[in-house]
Amino acid sequence: MGLSIFDSSFIMEKVKKNKTELTTEEIVAKYRPVVSFRVRRSLGSSTPDWEDVVNNIIVNVIEKLQKGEFRGDSSIGTFIYTITSRRIIDHIRQKSKVLKHAPEPNPFLAPYEEIENKERAEVLTKAIEKLKPKYKEVLYLYYYKELSRGEVAQRLSITPRRVSERINYAQKLLSKIIKK
Amino acid sequence: MRICKFEYLIDDYLLSRLSEDKRAEFEEHYFNCPLCFEKTVQRDELISVVKTKGSSIFQDILVPKEAKRPSVFETIYAFLTPREWATAAVSAALLLIVVFGVLPNIKATSPDFYINEDRVRGPSITLISPVIEDMKVIPSQFRWRGLLQEDVEYKIYLYNHDLLWSGTTKENFIILPEEVKKLMISGEKYSWQVKAFSPEGALISVSSKVHFYITHQQ
Repeated sequence: MGLSIFDSSFIMEKVKKNKTELTTEEIVAKYRPVVSFRVRRSLGSSTPDWEDVVNNIIVNVIEKLQKGEFRGDSSIGTFIYTITSRRIIDHIRQKSKVLKHAPEPNPFLAPYEEIENKERAEVLTKAIEKLKPKYKEVLYLYYYKELSRGEVAQRLSITPRRVSERINYAQKLLSKIIKK
Repeated sequence: MRICKFEYLIDDYLLSRLSEDKRAEFEEHYFNCPLCFEKTVQRDELISVVKTKGSSIFQDILVPKEAKRPSVFETIYAFLTPREWATAAVSAALLLIVVFGVLPNIKATSPDFYINEDRVRGPSITLISPVIEDMKVIPSQFRWRGLLQEDVEYKIYLYNHDLLWSGTTKENFIILPEEVKKLMISGEKYSWQVKAFSPEGALISVSSKVHFYITHQQ
């Protein structure tokens, strides 16, 4: 059995072949969350094999890096993004072949689902409830009702810029509360 | 604070509002921009909570607007704009001033009435005696309520079928001459009327005509 991609000697051996300035470990650590986010938005967190898809993508990225397929023409981020997108489409096509009445593959679906960490969701819920009405109103109209910035601005008799400011400020307040 | 030029696309991306090309461009971008990726994840978390728990989180926003019913006062108040209410209030105040302040001080104008072809304005003359329809005796004098004006000349007219007699006085009564009494017979209908004239000779007041019968001749 070969060395794990996370083995330090294996990583150091491959640094020279890797045209990036990052070690493989660093690449995995940095891009795994990004790949996970992309896969979950496409397949949904409720899909049981989304983690397998992510793992396959990471392995694929490392293999390509080892083979020297990354020539540095683009950024490492773009390289990994391209691999990720292709693997997602491959997975969906494979799934649609298996399922008899599967819908047309739509890798760009972004369903809204409960976030994985329920505790974090509860904290965020309570934080939103404690916001001042003017911030809750913009969140309600912009995200819950999905009105445009202009429509929200008209409804609240404020400028669209002020709508954006309130959303950003609400996000900051929530981030502070969550960090506590 | 660092701001990425793609940051404005975060909400549209998460709410699936971007075109396919724009979406792919943004996705490739956050693979290369840790700042945008971090913000995208945070915003996605917020949107997920809002979408799944919004009905309870925003209950205080939803309930008052959907369930609140206007009070009677609010319904009436909404009938007119504030400016229209102000105009109505001023108009009502002016009306009250006119009704209770101005009108009582205006002297009542005397009625117009027509006596034959004469149009007369001013107070009417009230006949006092004789006003009983059946007279047992021929009246010796005719009396009426005089006007408050001075220098008024009263002219009395006594009718049978035609004008039987007329007299003039500045008093509010006149004695019926004997020679006229002799002309009056029982069973006949008579009527009398008084007119008032100003010193200049203008008719200023007229009484109604009162009828009477002589039932017994002296």
